Amino acid sequence: MEFFEIFVLVFSFIILLVIGVPIAFSIGISGILTMLVSIDMIPALTTFSQRMATGLDSFALLAIPFFILAGNIMNSGGIAIRLIDFARILVGGIPGGVAMVNVLANMLFGAISGSAAASASAIGSIMQPEMKKEGYPDNFSAAVNITSATTGLSIPPSNILIVYSLASGGVSITALFLAGYLPGILTGLGIIITAITMLIYKRSGTKAAMRALGIVTLIAVGIVAAYKGVSFSRANFSAGLNRVLLYLVVAAFAVWAVIKTIRNKEKAKVGTKKFLDAIPSLLMLVIVIGGIVAGFFTATEASAIAVLYALVLSFIYRQIKIKDLPDIFLRSVKTTGVVMLLVATCLGLSWIMAYENIPQNVSEGLLSVTSNPFMILLIINMILLFVGVFMDMTPAVLIFTPIFLPIVTAMGVDPIHFGIIMVLNLSVGLCTPPVGSVLFIGCSVAGLSIDKVIKPLLPMFIAMVIVLLLVTYIPDISLWLPKSLGF
Amino acid sequence: STHSEKTELKLAHGLPTDHPVHKAMMFMAQRCSELSDGQLTIEVYPAEQLGSEQQCVELVQIGSLAITKVSAAVMESFTDAYKVFGLPYIFKSKEHSFKIMDGEIGKDLLLSTEDKWIRGLTYYDAGSRSFYTIDKPIHTPDDLAGLKIRVMRSITAVEMIRALGGSATPISWGELYTALQSGVVDGAENNPPSLYTSRHYEVCKYYSLDEHTTIPDVLVVSKIIWDKLSEQEQEWLQQAADESAVLERKLWAESEKESLEEVQKAGVEVIYPDKAPFIEKVQPLLESYKDNEVIYSYIKRIQAVK
Amino acid sequence: MRKTIDKALEWVLVFLLSVLVLDVLWQVASRYILNSPSSYTDELAGYLLIWVGLLGAAYVAGKREHLAIDLLLQKSSPERKFKLEIFISVVVILFAITVMIVGGSWLVYTRFYLSVKSAALGMPLGAVYLVLPLSGILIAYFDIDNMYNMVKSNRKN
Ligand code: NA
Ligand code: NA
Repeated sequence: MEFFEIFVLVFSFIILLVIGVPIAFSIGISGILTMLVSIDMIPALTTFSQRMATGLDSFALLAIPFFILAGNIMNSGGIAIRLIDFARILVGGIPGGVAMVNVLANMLFGAISGSAAASASAIGSIMQPEMKKEGYPDNFSAAVNITSATTGLSIPPSNILIVYSLASGGVSITALFLAGYLPGILTGLGIIITAITMLIYKRSGTKAAMRALGIVTLIAVGIVAAYKGVSFSRANFSAGLNRVLLYLVVAAFAVWAVIKTIRNKEKAKVGTKKFLDAIPSLLMLVIVIGGIVAGFFTATEASAIAVLYALVLSFIYRQIKIKDLPDIFLRSVKTTGVVMLLVATCLGLSWIMAYENIPQNVSEGLLSVTSNPFMILLIINMILLFVGVFMDMTPAVLIFTPIFLPIVTAMGVDPIHFGIIMVLNLSVGLCTPPVGSVLFIGCSVAGLSIDKVIKPLLPMFIAMVIVLLLVTYIPDISLWLPKSLGF
Repeated sequence: STHSEKTELKLAHGLPTDHPVHKAMMFMAQRCSELSDGQLTIEVYPAEQLGSEQQCVELVQIGSLAITKVSAAVMESFTDAYKVFGLPYIFKSKEHSFKIMDGEIGKDLLLSTEDKWIRGLTYYDAGSRSFYTIDKPIHTPDDLAGLKIRVMRSITAVEMIRALGGSATPISWGELYTALQSGVVDGAENNPPSLYTSRHYEVCKYYSLDEHTTIPDVLVVSKIIWDKLSEQEQEWLQQAADESAVLERKLWAESEKESLEEVQKAGVEVIYPDKAPFIEKVQPLLESYKDNEVIYSYIKRIQAVK
Repeated sequence: MRKTIDKALEWVLVFLLSVLVLDVLWQVASRYILNSPSSYTDELAGYLLIWVGLLGAAYVAGKREHLAIDLLLQKSSPERKFKLEIFISVVVILFAITVMIVGGSWLVYTRFYLSVKSAALGMPLGAVYLVLPLSGILIAYFDIDNMYNMVKSNRKN
């Protein structure tokens, strides 16, 4: 019976999308058409508008304009440049160092601002000329910037994880935030390794590139060994001992970093200064996450605190004046307006999908193909990758979470784990041609057309997919941190 | 509609499928189909699939949804009269509350919202709400002083907690678990099954059964859709609803008992405080409704029932 | 006219977002400052977000900056591009009129008529939903204006 409704929905949506009707209005029109099949005109129109408005009345969604606003303030307020300087002392002197700076700066800025688009424009506009000075081709720099800008989506705080929490019916935002750290860092690492291998290949030929990859493989083996060790310790040691081990690893890393810096005195001097300069900017991460964990405020309230902190810091740096504020606020409202209309129309659409039992029908169809969890996850990943090529992240999360989440939870996949899979997966889509907001921003910052960046983008795209598969089939990469902190 | 035509009604609510009230509504759907020999059927959408309780009542008014289950606390947004259920210690005992709901006053309230395009079908027992706290046991109202207690979005709920001496703190239900865990609030209040299914007992180690409010759930049908049903269909629906309410009281009692056992097994200390000082503290609040004719007349009528 | 509306809308949006930030900051602060924290901030924040979101969406629609897949537009001749853009505007206007203006107005009217109130503030819910027809009117107006300009410049060429 619901076949006709599904047909109306999918058919009208695809037609409108292809013609170029804005995604939010395509969703809205196809949603209302589907609704009119089974509900009278006035109740249908009224219900749809009620869903649009009440859907936005969600405390979790509030964090989105706030993190966008904080990101914009940081961008104008001199916080981004300090993060870049800090990233530079971490990896200066290594071959491909500036490329790594680009990735690290994106990870830090994306982490704090929670927005891939803000990150790509802020870091890209500063790093693109820097990389050119060092002799990197423009399209290579743009590809590095575009792919690494998406890492901030999984490293907390993250707007898209908040949207997922909403779409999933209330998975803990704090747990999602914790789960995002390792996958995000791993993606950044994958991009760095690929970028450096590409550079070595170009400068010194196949042999050197193979040698570099050999080293990477050794490191990877080391990581797998460490993972095995961690699972062993989790299975055999108490939670307390595990926490001690975690602290030991972090401390060892910090000591190693300090020793390495001190060994070169002159560098250490500059390094210390840059580090001290970056501390207030880095403190924002500590305040946001620390404040949530310590119980000063909720995850949503933390986003407003982030705005306040960024504002205070920018005024201290004297890079923002009161009269700049309306413009910064208006820019944030614009981004918010784009996201909120998508959320609003999607909530109208998902209402009629639930009313017509469409998610149940789709999952039955999917489960009739195979019931092997490995295959189902693979199929879901492929569908999402395909969707992500054409559709932006927020609508994709809103549309597909209610469809896929019941299927995977029935197979025993943790909703937190699935959220990270989804976000990583759609992050790949953000930078895959032909459509993707980060792709667009990265290209326009670099002054390139999209077809120019495809070639250097491809290897990095493959690296991201490999990380995605690792995260999909090794749940501990996402779940280890939240679980060890008691979620 | 004519008798030969089959009618399907959509019922949406916000509870999970293992909840006793959901089970009762599934029973109603089954009975409705049996009574009408398949002429009148009900499709149930659980777990906020079609929206929160407040949103579903609006959809019932709009007419795109036929039936919904809503807490009497949420009904306050739609009509003043239901505020009477949110008043602390308005009922003398559980039996007293059943007597009111089964009697004339209950029926009056159900039909009082017809001018709001909503018709009440029946009440479901939702037990009594009590305080649970992270680390400070509540024996007397004085123990509440300065404690940040999460409240639902409801004016009467805020007034009630303030009257008892606590700090009413608004936190959305979805953020409450982490807010309790990290100590943003010191406690919350709800009935035993909700304490159990929300897993808040993992964080809150004291449950003080002061039973300050007894707020029932209400099953409501859209007036627009009700008026389109034939008299026969209306009868089937009402009878199925009445039968489900009887079953629900049994299921609820079982679930309450089981929840209390489970939370105690998980290390929660259940406290049975003397209610007298609590009741005394809220008397000024009840008197403050003297100026509100509608509510005050219901207060007087309820207090008059033995 | 268009410029005045744009400017006014900009100021309203900046104002609403500022109030939103202050509201949530006050929610945190009042927990630590006041003995009895404010009980309405979370409801107010939700309503402000509805207003910022939907009015912001109308503002973005006026600037034609909503996310779209414009592959076909890019690959089209100027003639076909013009036709497609007119069609897109018509679809957007259709949605604004049916769902946001008609549906939204009926929602607002019934909320006022049935006197539905918000749970914490006790304010009329119809006032909150008023943003639906308002944004709908703005979107329709902006798109009709854009369409008029498109036709005008098309005639010139
Ligand atoms: Na982030
Ligand atoms: Na894409």
